[in-house]
Amino acid sequence: MDLNDSVLDHLRAIGDAPDLEGTRYVLEQEIGRGGMGVVYAAHDRDLDRRVALKVLDVAFAGEARLIARLEHPAVVPIYESGVLSDGRSYYAMKLIAGERLDRYAAGTASQAERIRVIRRIAEVLAFAHSEGVIHRDLKPQNVMVGEFGEVYVMDWGVEAIRGTAAYRAPESQTDARSDIYSLGALMQAVLPAPGSPALQAIAAKCMRTVPAERYPSATAFLADIDRFEAGERVEAWSEPLWHRVQRFASRNSILLWLLAAYAAVKFVIFFLRAF
Amino acid sequence: MNKILVGVVFGLVLGAIDGATAWFTPDVRPMMTGIMVGSSIKGMIVGLLSGWFARKVQSTKWGIVVGAALGLLFAFLVAAMPSPGGKHYYLEIMLPGFVVGAIIGFLTQRLGTQPRSTTLSR
Amino acid sequence: MPWDTDTAIGGNERRFPSTQLTLLEAVSQGMDRDALERVLALYWKPVYHFIRRRFGKGNEDAKDLAQGFFATAIERKFFERFDPNRASFRTYLRMAVEHFASNEHAASHRQKRSGEVVFEPVEEFASEDLSPEQVFEREWQRQLFGLAIDDLRILCKDTGREVHWLIFEAYDLTDDERPSYAELARRFGIAETTVTNYLAWVRRTLRSLVTERMRGVTAGERELREEMRRIWI
Repeated sequence: MDLNDSVLDHLRAIGDAPDLEGTRYVLEQEIGRGGMGVVYAAHDRDLDRRVALKVLDVAFAGEARLIARLEHPAVVPIYESGVLSDGRSYYAMKLIAGERLDRYAAGTASQAERIRVIRRIAEVLAFAHSEGVIHRDLKPQNVMVGEFGEVYVMDWGVEAIRGTAAYRAPESQTDARSDIYSLGALMQAVLPAPGSPALQAIAAKCMRTVPAERYPSATAFLADIDRFEAGERVEAWSEPLWHRVQRFASRNSILLWLLAAYAAVKFVIFFLRAF
Repeated sequence: MNKILVGVVFGLVLGAIDGATAWFTPDVRPMMTGIMVGSSIKGMIVGLLSGWFARKVQSTKWGIVVGAALGLLFAFLVAAMPSPGGKHYYLEIMLPGFVVGAIIGFLTQRLGTQPRSTTLSR
Repeated sequence: MPWDTDTAIGGNERRFPSTQLTLLEAVSQGMDRDALERVLALYWKPVYHFIRRRFGKGNEDAKDLAQGFFATAIERKFFERFDPNRASFRTYLRMAVEHFASNEHAASHRQKRSGEVVFEPVEEFASEDLSPEQVFEREWQRQLFGLAIDDLRILCKDTGREVHWLIFEAYDLTDDERPSYAELARRFGIAETTVTNYLAWVRRTLRSLVTERMRGVTAGERELREEMRRIWI
């Protein structure tokens, strides 16, 4: 049968919509595509609330179970999972109101807030790694910042698909350190371009080609971020002497001002008396 | 090291150094020993009182203010003392004394251990 | 399988195997006639349209070239040499067509008499503002759905679901204004909820049929998934 353009487009549009017959959900609209499936907003009739439904392309029951294992404030909680009438698996999870990280990065958040977001991502990575779960496809499209500043990381454990190369580690055998690589790439995307050299060094250390040269864990990464925020020396960056002096000066500014005041007073008196 | 001790030690050291700068005023050079001793004692007293204040009140700003005030006060007392040559060096003593007091006040706030019962404030 | 009867098909010119091998599986088993037919059924028209757009060929010339390409491909076991790690089968095939046709094009140009001009009627489907590659993909999608719908029609006929088919045809295949569910219910003497159910069944089934067709021309699950992503809006 030969179809004309409008019919073809119509068929393409309807064919993908999941049939929620037999579930307690009513389809509202598509929100996005990622990982191994499509995410829709839906209405839960039983509990009278809106949820996010992820319908998986392939029957991969593992994804839901993987995420359900991770109970953490930055992991979107899963409510239930099931199978649609057409054989596709789905799971229902909390519907996040917020914006994706790429849009957040383009916004007006301060450097301190951005670091906080990166910190949250690193924290959930540390947690997941301790549970034996590797994300594998960490990128701005998989991170949401909620309306109250909470951070969510989604699409766990999915094999990174062709097309997200910018955030994907170069090695083929992915492990926890590949996530660190992606974390560094995220950091570069989120923090403004001519930023602090210490932060740039931290991101660069995450993105070393040789995995062994990166931070050994998300916890080690966080420790360096802590040091940066405390004004201490950062492991990733061998700072030039001048910068070290600057850092010392900013941490001890009051004392240095007082000493400067003392010297100034002394000088002024000395010269007053001299004439 | 508790805060009072911090105040006393730094007061002594800074006072001695401050006294030593009298060397730059040739007129008083002969009396330098006396000046240094006096300045050290002045520093220790200011340090003691600042340290005591720091135990009660945790505020860098107020520590500096109190230290500076004490420094000014005791510097005035010293400057007002009758002196052999009859010359008074109010400016030379009070102004640096003011700043040294501020430094002592700052250090007692930032260094030294708190006694347990004090509430933390920022 | 989402449809609940066995696929007992008979009396039709086209056979309907119940499980379709992926392209790689078919290749490893020697690329039998069925597998080839499946590839041809899907790709003949897109290749033809692509040649027309890409090389500006007329109807007859394009047909000849398409014919020539497939003949050569089969002869030289072209499909067996597909490497799924490098590109999708669709891209692989398109590039091969380009290569083949530009060789032939260059050859025939040298032979052409000067001053020869051929006017051809404008293709009614290919839009002017698409690149040859886009035309190829578009025709491929069109053919894919066309074949799946043919499969669907046969399936409905064989499983006694004529009304399902007619409702689908009236609603989803129409070019004009769509009838409402109420109208359809009246037309066929069934309840409105039945109309909803029938349509849902047909759409589900269509989706699986499209997937099955795709399976026969992709190398495996991963490529299938990626190609499926491109199909749906």
